[in-house]
Amino acid sequence: MKSSLVGQAVILAALALLPAVGEAIYFRDKISWRSAIAPSESVTVEQARAWGHNAIWVDARPDDEFASDHVPGAISLNEDRWNELLPQFLAVWAPGKKTVVYCSSLSCNASREVARRLRKEAQLSDVFVLEGGWEAWLKKNR
Amino acid sequence: MKQTSNIEDRTSNIELPSDVGSLGVWRVLSRILDFVLAGIFIYAGALKAFDPVQFASDIDNYKIVPWPVSVALAFYLPWLEIFCALGLVFRFLYRGALSILTALIVVFTLATIAAKVRGLDITCGCFGHASQHWSFPSHLATNLAILAAVLALSFKATRGFRSPLPARREDRYD
Repeated sequence: MKSSLVGQAVILAALALLPAVGEAIYFRDKISWRSAIAPSESVTVEQARAWGHNAIWVDARPDDEFASDHVPGAISLNEDRWNELLPQFLAVWAPGKKTVVYCSSLSCNASREVARRLRKEAQLSDVFVLEGGWEAWLKKNR
Repeated sequence: MKQTSNIEDRTSNIELPSDVGSLGVWRVLSRILDFVLAGIFIYAGALKAFDPVQFASDIDNYKIVPWPVSVALAFYLPWLEIFCALGLVFRFLYRGALSILTALIVVFTLATIAAKVRGLDITCGCFGHASQHWSFPSHLATNLAILAAVLALSFKATRGFRSPLPARREDRYD
């Protein structure tokens, strides 16, 4: 097929669009286009506090930030020391308990990653990401 | 005997270029490079196509584009990589594939550098979770090596290393 370089690139770009659209349709229930966290996987500070002792708070921030301050009773579990910290979390986890993971703020990703790994690697259900993270918790508790 | 002598006379008049040997080597090398690059991009594309949710998250980590754009790219980019890689293997839309791969690898490299400059400690997402623990230097070195290979093939495809011999089928770039 003889065509210009731009023409070839456009044809390839168009060809790639077909399976991409198919995949987007296939995964439509598994990913939200509006937010990085699916509504069913996030929780507000008020909702999480209402769970009381039925909730396990997990701090996904780095060690130094956890050491300076954290949600009372929270357990540190970050990706830097995942293998080291996971057993401590599993020791307090019990079936039926809800896990609330938080990181610094709305824009951080650590809580999302830790929640994803808890669901995928530790095979846990009822794992939620705290909307607004530590900043939101501070606002509601000061 | 006279006939043999005529043939010798005729062949002695053909001037073979001195760089024919090196052209053959380059032809083989470029084909190997085609397959190596195609393998890399098919592997990278397939890993990401199987887990677009994770890839969307990886793109979002760069904090360059809003979340809906990250999702769209997560669905689209892996297939673009795979189709371009197939273009290299089958020499179909070859120059277009090389130009897209060049653009992609340049954008990926700039995004990686920008993330590093902004102090973002993130996984590149290039090879799904296989690249989760890559350091910045190894990530950058890989990208630059791929870019060099793609540029070398682009150079050959557009203007470089023209053989004085008639072009073989495999040397035609459609």
